[in-house]
Amino acid sequence: MSFFRRRYGAHPLHLLVTVACLLVAAYAAQRIYVSTEDWWKIGLWFIGCVIGHDLVLWPLYALADSAVLRAARGRAALAQPPGWINYLRFPVLGSALLFVVWFPLIARRSRGIFEGTVGEGVNGYLGHWLIITAALFLISAVAYAVRIRRASMPRTTDPTPSTDQ
Amino acid sequence: MMQFPKDLRRRVETFAAGPDGGRPPLPIDPRFWRSPLRSRRFTSILGLTLLVMLTLVIVCGLLSYASYNPRLAGNDPTGRHGLLGFYFFTWPTHPVWLYRLTQSTHVLLGLASIPFVLAKLWSVIPKLFELPPVRSPAQAIERISLLALVGGVTFEFVTGVMNIQLYYAFPFSFYTAHLYGAWIFLAGFVVHVAVKLPVAIRAVRRRGLDPDPEGDQAAAVHDPDGPDDLRAVEPAPATITRRGALIAVGGGSALLVGATLGQSFDGPLRRTALLAPHGQAYGNGPNDFPVNKTAAYRGITADATGAKWRLELRGTQRLSLDRAALLARPQSTHRLPIACVEGWSTEQEWTGIPLADLASMAGVTGKATVLVESLQKNGSFGKVRLAANQVADRRTLLALKVNGADLEPDHGFPARIIVPAGPGVHNTKWVTALTFVPEQA
Repeated sequence: MSFFRRRYGAHPLHLLVTVACLLVAAYAAQRIYVSTEDWWKIGLWFIGCVIGHDLVLWPLYALADSAVLRAARGRAALAQPPGWINYLRFPVLGSALLFVVWFPLIARRSRGIFEGTVGEGVNGYLGHWLIITAALFLISAVAYAVRIRRASMPRTTDPTPSTDQ
Repeated sequence: MMQFPKDLRRRVETFAAGPDGGRPPLPIDPRFWRSPLRSRRFTSILGLTLLVMLTLVIVCGLLSYASYNPRLAGNDPTGRHGLLGFYFFTWPTHPVWLYRLTQSTHVLLGLASIPFVLAKLWSVIPKLFELPPVRSPAQAIERISLLALVGGVTFEFVTGVMNIQLYYAFPFSFYTAHLYGAWIFLAGFVVHVAVKLPVAIRAVRRRGLDPDPEGDQAAAVHDPDGPDDLRAVEPAPATITRRGALIAVGGGSALLVGATLGQSFDGPLRRTALLAPHGQAYGNGPNDFPVNKTAAYRGITADATGAKWRLELRGTQRLSLDRAALLARPQSTHRLPIACVEGWSTEQEWTGIPLADLASMAGVTGKATVLVESLQKNGSFGKVRLAANQVADRRTLLALKVNGADLEPDHGFPARIIVPAGPGVHNTKWVTALTFVPEQA
């Protein structure tokens, strides 16, 4: 057993489970191949997905984050209450998340199909998204104001250092 | 402007100087990854949450496929399922809200998973660039399975999210791609869970679920993570606690679900689905509820559905009935939901003739399936087979009216099928023929 472990790097069950699952994946891929002429297009999109997130999206959000930090160095850090960086991040991320998920409707990409399917216009989503974004920023601003107010009030008891942002 | 060549030269020199000569580290260098949030426990909390959510999403997705009764000829929208149909069972007709439940769970939990998937991928990305790329055969084969996992989850979410907003920009059949893509993802998912679940449970159990950064550092002295350690080698100062980060992820989920949930309910709650296709306000009239595919889109003409329309009943006898003749027969009324594969649903009151009665009229008694044919000129579900239990259920109707009024053209005038607990596409609109086929004993 330990001979196997040394050569392979893990318990034999690891090999068994992994090979079995990869066989299932291969069978599913073969099902795609026999079911449609567009199998290679599906394959291309799949590979695009493998590459897409890690090498495209991730650098984008890492860059965005470091850009904000550089701009606000010293004054936004956690240790100095009440830091504002997270009150900016939350609404921005929430709004961006909604946009990324719903952008075809917001940007009316599916206009033709939409009208034939739903029977209504595909307008209005941009407006809804903007309203939601505004609401998120408003809530965040109010929360920040409350936080500042609480931080500036004189403490009457021994303060325990706050551990949340 | 004259600065440019000097600036460029300085950058090249810095780059050539290497990591200790002032060049910023490359992703393959552990010092590149500076977020202090990363740790095995942080990833484990995300992973365990995803384990629960994605398992439910997968189960509901596979149930959705089963609900189409793909073993009946012509019902399988994906092509040839082969051995992947092993779990099929005849979809029941009760409770009537069954498909509504499974499919809205699939879509809503799927949306809720998105922030967790993004956060998890972010938290483990240092491992993508780790050197050496292959430590052992076990690790090599595991990395191959990650192709199925990461590629699969991204592919499924991209195709799914595009489909629910009718954005068919992918050049292939949604059903084929999304179903078999799901099996590929499931393969990677099972490997990942099998290998990492013990690790995750250990990491979380060490200190309960409290994701406290200081505690993590203290624990490192007693229990270093070894090659699975995700902690930054040179962490930057923290700008948010791990708890705060998890709250952000959970908040993102809540936001996505909150903006879509309304699609599954009628009444004022529907309007809260601000970003989803079927969250519009409709009027109060009997035909004011969501449509999927208008009559015009399907090439239905007023001529074809007007006075010349006949319902062809075929069994051991053949009958041809016009709408007046159908209306003259005893009608049944039932409140039944229509639930679409895109996750939205609506419940209305339908009036019509039970399919079982139509079967008797066609001379077919006993168990029988039915082939339903529509006037529609395009689309994959112009011909649908209903199973014997669906035909026999007295709530399965050939509906002629909704909420007391005639069906409007977009809702299937002159007649549509309504099947309790069935997927939306089995509620065929603009029905033109019903062929009852007795089941072999």
